[in-house]
Amino acid sequence: MGALNGLFGYAFLVPLLMVASFAIVGLAGGRLKRLEWGGWVAVAFSGAAMVVGVLISVGEMLSPSSYTNVQYTWLHLPPAPGTFPNGFELVVGTLVDPISALLLLVVTVVGFLVMLYSIGYMHHDRGLPRYYAELSLFLAAMTGLVLANNLLEFFVFWELVGVCSYFLIGFYYEKPSAASAAKEAFLVTRVGDVMFLLGIFLYFSTYAQAGPAGGWAANGFVFVHGAQPFVPVGTGNGTTLTIAGILILGGAAGKSAQFPLHVWLPDAMEGPTTVSALIHAATMVAAGVYLLAVTSLFLGFTATDSLVIVAIGGFTAFFAATMAVVHPDIKRVIAYSTISQLGYMVLAIGAGFAMVGLYHLFTHAFFKALLFLAAGSVIHAVGTQNLFQMGGLKKRMRLTAAAFAIGGLALAGIPPFAGFWSKDDILAAVFSQLGSHPAYWPFFLLAFAGVFLTAYYIFRAWFLAFSGPTTRDPTLPEAHEGPWVMQVPLVVLSGFAVVAGLFVFLPGFPGLLLNGAGVAGIPPHYGTTELLLSGASVGLAAAGIGLAWFLWGNGRVFVLPESSPAQPVCRLLLARYHFKEAYDWVGLRAVYTVARAADFVDQYVIDGTVHGFERAFAAISDRLRRIQSGIVSDYAAYVVAGLLLVFVLLLLVAPWIVARLGGS
Amino acid sequence: MTSLPIVGFVALSAGLLAIGLFGVLTRRNLILILISVEIAMNAAILNFVYFAGFLGGAPALRGQSIAVVLVGFAATEVAVGLAIVLALHRVRGTINVAETSELRE
Repeated sequence: MGALNGLFGYAFLVPLLMVASFAIVGLAGGRLKRLEWGGWVAVAFSGAAMVVGVLISVGEMLSPSSYTNVQYTWLHLPPAPGTFPNGFELVVGTLVDPISALLLLVVTVVGFLVMLYSIGYMHHDRGLPRYYAELSLFLAAMTGLVLANNLLEFFVFWELVGVCSYFLIGFYYEKPSAASAAKEAFLVTRVGDVMFLLGIFLYFSTYAQAGPAGGWAANGFVFVHGAQPFVPVGTGNGTTLTIAGILILGGAAGKSAQFPLHVWLPDAMEGPTTVSALIHAATMVAAGVYLLAVTSLFLGFTATDSLVIVAIGGFTAFFAATMAVVHPDIKRVIAYSTISQLGYMVLAIGAGFAMVGLYHLFTHAFFKALLFLAAGSVIHAVGTQNLFQMGGLKKRMRLTAAAFAIGGLALAGIPPFAGFWSKDDILAAVFSQLGSHPAYWPFFLLAFAGVFLTAYYIFRAWFLAFSGPTTRDPTLPEAHEGPWVMQVPLVVLSGFAVVAGLFVFLPGFPGLLLNGAGVAGIPPHYGTTELLLSGASVGLAAAGIGLAWFLWGNGRVFVLPESSPAQPVCRLLLARYHFKEAYDWVGLRAVYTVARAADFVDQYVIDGTVHGFERAFAAISDRLRRIQSGIVSDYAAYVVAGLLLVFVLLLLVAPWIVARLGGS
Repeated sequence: MTSLPIVGFVALSAGLLAIGLFGVLTRRNLILILISVEIAMNAAILNFVYFAGFLGGAPALRGQSIAVVLVGFAATEVAVGLAIVLALHRVRGTINVAETSELRE
């Protein structure tokens, strides 16, 4: 038993610290004499959160299987015969187990470094208290999501990180493109969120009574890591479970920007680069992968689900990489790369290796945050994101150039950098399944081809930005390194990008990944097949880097000839396969038509009925109003008329009715 | 008296009532309207007197006494009515009911 396990019960401190930071900076940040002080408050709080997070992770490494719950029942339904014979309760609590500790480590460390980096990067921006408050709220929600101990609590934090992402993408809300990118991100992920919620309902209806102690529902949907999944991975095949699994995949695809819900992530680059590094590279987009991993370990996917997940992951890994190949914007190249890498993780989870996917999530978070922060350093220095205006920056920004190169090598999968170990592990894991699941072949090959593209596009970006004799656009300002607050995170993350992949060989660390039954592939096993596979993928990566150097190295700019047959392909890639146009078209044609029909019904049928009654009564009362002449003789006449009517009724109508009824 | 036909008396009072109603509905002069009301009221008093005589006995006394009371009522009514007419004339300078339509408001 580790001495740090007593800390597990205090895991709730991590989100709480960030909520405090959010409240302090959000409420008082604007009144400070210097707005950067609010940033330092956020840095201090996220530093404290990081200390707690790291201590918890170390505690998990020392004694991996233990976990602690702090539970509060906020909804309790008494037993109802028929539906819930055992009652039903919803709890709020924290779950500290190896997986959540792994994620907690990533989120708090990257969160702290990004917060520190922001002090320098956001120095010139307006709205600083808002920025730090929103970033703090995001970290609170993200750590809450990681520590959530049941699916509904998970969903609440899932929505919270989504709304924080919306705020931060639209941080420069005066810019129309930023405002519309924020809306797009929110709406596209919302499609996934609705599917996720429906998936929860389906699992709920299936498993409400299943499992220990009166069923999953009676226990508040609490995650039970380490136990056997409800559906043994890859075996069950109930239609309901398959649909539920697909719905969960939809939610994960929305959050993790997997095909076909990938369109929002490149546009999310409208936000500050620090936000891209933290939310759209290291943490929030990984939440979808985390969800898939947790679901596969806890609930399990059916065989059909697994194939769909493999297909989506493998296809996205290749598909997103192709778009990164031609893009001129440094941030968007990295964004496509993020989508592609998330695809690798999804591929691994679909093939039944959830832990291998999480291993890649862990290494990817560090080197991708590093790439974004290095890109941010460049953007901070030269004020443009266009790769074709940069060039020759390595002379003036040695640290940034080195950091970007390390991140690029890690991403490309060159040993011994972090990405090599985890990406290779994914390929080896999927390869091991090809014998029993021949349907995985095309997606394995797509992912394998993605390795070449990955190496090519990231080094194309490096050569365009840093190599060559001089800057291409002479109007750009003189490049310079950022202040120390920007350099320290680059150095620390570079360190992680070099060694994070090797963590898995440390004693203790694999404990974070060795959780649950049926976990294979951690730590990577290197037999003859795996070594051949690694050799092939490293060769592909090296070829990609070589091609990038040949076309773009030393200040060369490769221009595709107009007559080249590849020209239409290039245009298609630059147009992002027209996905955005297609969605806009669907939005305008289909949704707008439905909206117009609904508007017609609303205006003419519903409002028409209401207004019709209104007009009828107005007309009748207008007529009736005229008998109120105010002249007494008229009133006397009405009295006489009424009297006559009474006589007529009494003397003529009443006897006639009595006669007709034959009354006595 | 008993030899007189019932139809004639009822017709007489119906005629008086019709004349009174006609006056109330058509006249615009408030005094003429008051007079018409009196005429219509006389139709009712005449009915009491006639049916009292027609029935005879104890009911006859009752009917005749009511007729006497009604005559008193008519007198007070005229007094109040004329007072209103005077007051109206003082305030508005006219007793034409067509020109006083404040009730409409």
